[in-house]
Amino acid sequence: RTLTKKKDKMSNLVEEYFEAHSSSKVLTSDRTLQKLRRKRLDQQTLRDLLQKSSLAYAAEIKELNQQYESLFSKWMLQLHLGFNIVLYGLGSKHDLLEKFRTSLLQDSVHLVVNGYFPSITVKSVLNSITEEVLDHIGTFRSPLDQLEFIMKRFKEDSSLELYVLIHNLDSQMLRGERSQQILAQLSSLPSIYLIASIDHINAPLMWDQAKQSLYNWLWYETTTFSPYVEETSYENSLLVQQSGSLALSSLMHVLHSLTPNARGIFRLLAQYQLENKDNPSYPGLSFQDFYQQCREAFLVNSDLTLRAQLTEFRDHKLIRTKRGADGVEYLLIPVDDSTLTDFLEKEDEDV
Amino acid sequence: MSARSLSKGCFVFKPSPKKRKVSQTTADYFREGSSDLEDSELRFATCQSLWKQVKSETEEIEEELNEQLFDNLVSFLRRSHSAFQEKTTEWTHRMKSREIPTAALVLGVNVTDHDFTFRSLSEFLQNSVTPYVALLEAKDCPGIKKLMQKLLGQLMNCCVDVDSSEEEDYEQVSHNRIRCSMTSLISWHGIQSFLFCCLLFINAHPMALKRTDTETPGKKRTSSRHWLSPPVVVIFKDMESFTTKVLQDFVVISSQHIGELPLVLIFGIATSPMIIHSLLPHSVSSLLCIELFQSLSCKDHLSTIIDKVLLTTQFPLKLSEKVLQVLINIFLYHDFSVQNFIKGFQLCIVEHFHSNPLSILCCQLEEAKMRVNSLSHNQCENIRRLPSFRRYVESQVSEKQIALLTADSSLKIRELHCACLENRVWETEEYESSLQLARMLNKSDLVTMLQKCVEILVSSPGKEFDEIVEKLKEFLTQFQKLEEVYQERDETVSPQKELQKKTDLYHLQKTLLELKESRRSKKLTKFEMLRFEVVDHIDSLVRRYLVPADHKTLHEIVYFNAASVLREHLNAAPRIALHTALNNPYSYLKSEALKSDGGSISNKAPDICIAYKLHLECGRLINLVDWLEAFSTVVTAAEGPTAQAASSDQVDDVIQYPFPFLPQ
Repeated sequence: RTLTKKKDKMSNLVEEYFEAHSSSKVLTSDRTLQKLRRKRLDQQTLRDLLQKSSLAYAAEIKELNQQYESLFSKWMLQLHLGFNIVLYGLGSKHDLLEKFRTSLLQDSVHLVVNGYFPSITVKSVLNSITEEVLDHIGTFRSPLDQLEFIMKRFKEDSSLELYVLIHNLDSQMLRGERSQQILAQLSSLPSIYLIASIDHINAPLMWDQAKQSLYNWLWYETTTFSPYVEETSYENSLLVQQSGSLALSSLMHVLHSLTPNARGIFRLLAQYQLENKDNPSYPGLSFQDFYQQCREAFLVNSDLTLRAQLTEFRDHKLIRTKRGADGVEYLLIPVDDSTLTDFLEKEDEDV
Repeated sequence: MSARSLSKGCFVFKPSPKKRKVSQTTADYFREGSSDLEDSELRFATCQSLWKQVKSETEEIEEELNEQLFDNLVSFLRRSHSAFQEKTTEWTHRMKSREIPTAALVLGVNVTDHDFTFRSLSEFLQNSVTPYVALLEAKDCPGIKKLMQKLLGQLMNCCVDVDSSEEEDYEQVSHNRIRCSMTSLISWHGIQSFLFCCLLFINAHPMALKRTDTETPGKKRTSSRHWLSPPVVVIFKDMESFTTKVLQDFVVISSQHIGELPLVLIFGIATSPMIIHSLLPHSVSSLLCIELFQSLSCKDHLSTIIDKVLLTTQFPLKLSEKVLQVLINIFLYHDFSVQNFIKGFQLCIVEHFHSNPLSILCCQLEEAKMRVNSLSHNQCENIRRLPSFRRYVESQVSEKQIALLTADSSLKIRELHCACLENRVWETEEYESSLQLARMLNKSDLVTMLQKCVEILVSSPGKEFDEIVEKLKEFLTQFQKLEEVYQERDETVSPQKELQKKTDLYHLQKTLLELKESRRSKKLTKFEMLRFEVVDHIDSLVRRYLVPADHKTLHEIVYFNAASVLREHLNAAPRIALHTALNNPYSYLKSEALKSDGGSISNKAPDICIAYKLHLECGRLINLVDWLEAFSTVVTAAEGPTAQAASSDQVDDVIQYPFPFLPQ
C-alpha cells in the first residue's frame, strides 16, 4: 500500500511539474514603440545627437588604448614569425587597428577589409588582391582558382609581402564556411600577415581545427570600450527610421528564414529581373506570367498561395508591385543589380 | 587616406615607389619591442637558431615515428602492384570484380598534424615507389569535375617534376598538357570518356618518355622504366569531409578502368574505419579491397617529443612546471594536436627571448661562458635585480655581498659557477620522475616500483649522461646490491601476498592495516633498514640536486615561466573577457567611480554595461519599450543630482542613443 501511495505521490509531482511548466507563458508587456513619447529619430538627427554627447571615461579609455599601442612592435614581430593576430574584447577595435596601420604599415603594401560592410564578399577581397596588389588583369572561373593563382604568385615571388587587416572577421558576410576557408588559406601563406578583430560572442565557433591551424592565431585581448560607430552604421534598428535599399546581408537574412519554395519563388523573380537588366523599359514581371512560371517549376499550386507568398515578400519589402499602363500588376525587386547578382551567387554556393 | 567608403569594403594601400624603403626585417621589430637595446641582435639570433634546431628536431622525430607506418604502406603497394604486373590469379579475379586496392589510414582526430604526415608520405612514395602520387583535399573537390581536374593537374605536374631534366622532355610534356587540358575542356559532357582520355594519356605518357630515353641514351633512367608501369596513387587526405557523391562517382569510374590503369587509393581517416561503410553504399564499397593501417597515437607522439626536446640537455631553454602544465592541458583537453603543442613551445621561445634581457645567456655552456665574460655593466645590474639572485645574496656573508653587488668581475665568476650548477640540475631532470617514484615507496611498499626505478636509473646514466655526479654511481651499485636483497625479501613477502589475494577487499584492507601496525611495532628488519637507507640517500640527493628550479639562483635565464601569457595567447576566452568587461567595467577602466559591489546596477557605469545588466534581469524575451524606460530611469538617476535643468525632451533624445548600438 505504501508503494502505491508513493507512486501516487510521484505521479502527482510529475503532473504538477508539467502543469507548472506547460502553462508558463512567457510574460511580456504589451507596450509598443508607438507609445513612446518621443517619435523615432531618423539617422541624420541620431548622428548629430551622438556627436554632441561626449564619451564617458575618456581618460581611462585613452590609457587602455595606449597600453595596447605599446604592443604594436611585438605584433609585428609575431606576424613575421608566422603567427597571425586576432583581437577580441568589448568595444570597437576599428580605431586601434587604424592606428596600427598608420603608424607601422605606411611603408608597406597593405589591404584593409571592412568586414562590417554589408555587401562585402570574400570575392571582393580576392579581387582586390589580384587586381591591385598583383596587378593582374583577367578573370577567374571561381574563387578557388583565384586563390590558387594568388598562392602560386606569392610562393614564387618571395619579395611580395602583404599585410591584411580585417575589421570584424566574424561579420554576417564573412562568417560562412567557404569564406573562412579561403581566408584561412590566404593567411597560411608565410608572406601574408593577417591581423583581424572579432566581436561576436560565438565567433570562435566559425573555425574548426583545420582552419584554426591554418590561421595559426595568437589571441590578444583588447577591450577598448569605444563605441561601435563605424560598425553599427550599417546595422538596422527598430528605433531608427530606415531609408535606402536593402543590403545584401539583410536580404540573405530574411531569405534564410523562408521555406525552400518561397526561396525558389524569389530566385525565379530575381533571375528574370537580371535577365532583363539591360532593358531600360522593362516594367517587371506580370503576375500572370510569374504565376505560370512558378507553376511550371512546381513552386506553387494555386493562385492563392502565390498571392500569400507575395504578400509576405511585400511585408519584408523584398518586392514592389507597380501597375502598368495596361492595368496589369508588375513585380519588381527594389535592389540594385550588383547586389542581386551577389545574392544569386551566394545562393548557388549554399545549395 | 582612410578606409571608409559607402560603396566599397576593401582598400589596398601601396606606398609610393620613391617612399618605399627597404622593409624592416624581423630582427628590427624584435629590437624595437624588446626592453633592452644592447644585445637584442645576438638575442634574436640565439632565439632563431634555437627555434630552428627545435623545429628540425621535431620534424626528424616525426619522420622516425612515421617510418614504420610508411614501410607497411609501401610493402602493401608493392604487393598489390606486383599482383597487377604478373597478372596472377588473384589479380585476374580482382579484375573481374573490379576491385581497387585501397589502404585506409586511421590517423586520429588531430587533424592539424595530418598535414605533415601526408606531405612526408607523398614524398616518401614518390621517392621509393612511384612518381605518380596525387594528394586530394576535400576543400578542392566539391564535384567530380573539379576532382578530376585537380587529380590530372597534380599527376601531370608529378610527371614533369620527376622526369624533366632534359629539354625535349619538357617540351613534350607541356605540349601534352595543353592538349589534355583541351581534351578535358572538350569532354566535359561525358565524364566517362573524359576519364578514358586522361587515362590513355597517363598510360601513353611513360611510353613516350621511354622513346626519348632510347633515343638519347643518358644516365637518367626514370623509375617508370624500372617499374614497367608504376602504379598511380591517389591519396584522399580527409575522407570524412568529402561529399558522398564525389567519392562514389570516383570509385565507380576508376573501377571501370582498373584493368588498364594500376590505381591504388589511400584514404586518410580521422575517426574510425567504419566511416567508409557509412559514407559509401555497399555497391560502391564492394569495389574496394581495403586494408587497414593504424598510425601512432598522438599521446605517444607527444611523449616522445617531450622526452627528446624538452627534457634533454641539448636545448638550453627549459619550461617551468606551470608552463608545461598549460601546454599539456591544452593538448589533452582540447585538441590532441602535437603541432599546436610545438606552436606553443615556439611562442615560449619567442616570449622568453623577447621579454627577458638575460636570455642572452640561454645557450650552450661554452658559449655562455664567453658571453658571460663580455657582459656589460647594465646586464650585470639586470642580474642583480633578479629575485632569485637577491635570495642568493642574502644567504652570503656581508663582505661577499658587497663584492657581488658592486664589482662586476666577481659577479661574473659567480655567475659562471651558477650556470654550471644550473646545467647539472637540468641534466638530471629526468631523474625527478624516477625519484618521485622512489619517494612513493614511503607509503606503499611495491618492490617492483623500486626495481623499475633502478632500471631507469641504470639506463639513464649509461645512455645519456656521461659526466654525471660520481656519487650517483655509488648509489647505483648499492641499488644493485639491494636488488638481490629485495629478491630474498620477495620470497618472504609472497605468502602474505597470496593471503591477500584470497580475501576480499575489506579483508585486504584489514590485513594491510595489520601489516602496517606490525611493521611499525617490529624492530627494523634488514630490509627496512636498507629501505630507509635508500630513501635517505635519495632524499639527500633530491634535496641537494633537485630543488625546484625556482629556488635556484639565476633560474630565470633558462626557465620560461610566464604561464598566464601563454594561456592568454593560445587558449583565449573571448566570452569571459566580454562578460567581465560588461559586468565589471572597473577591471578595465580603473576609475574610482566604477568601484561597486557585485549585483547592483551602478548608474555611473558606461551605457552599454547598464543596458547589458538590465537585459540580464529580463527573461527570455525583452520588450524594447520597457527596457528603454528602465534604462532612462537608471541614467536619469545618474544625471539627476548634476543636471536638473535639462529639459526632459532633450534628455530622452540623448538617452535613446545607446540603443541603436545594440544588435537587433
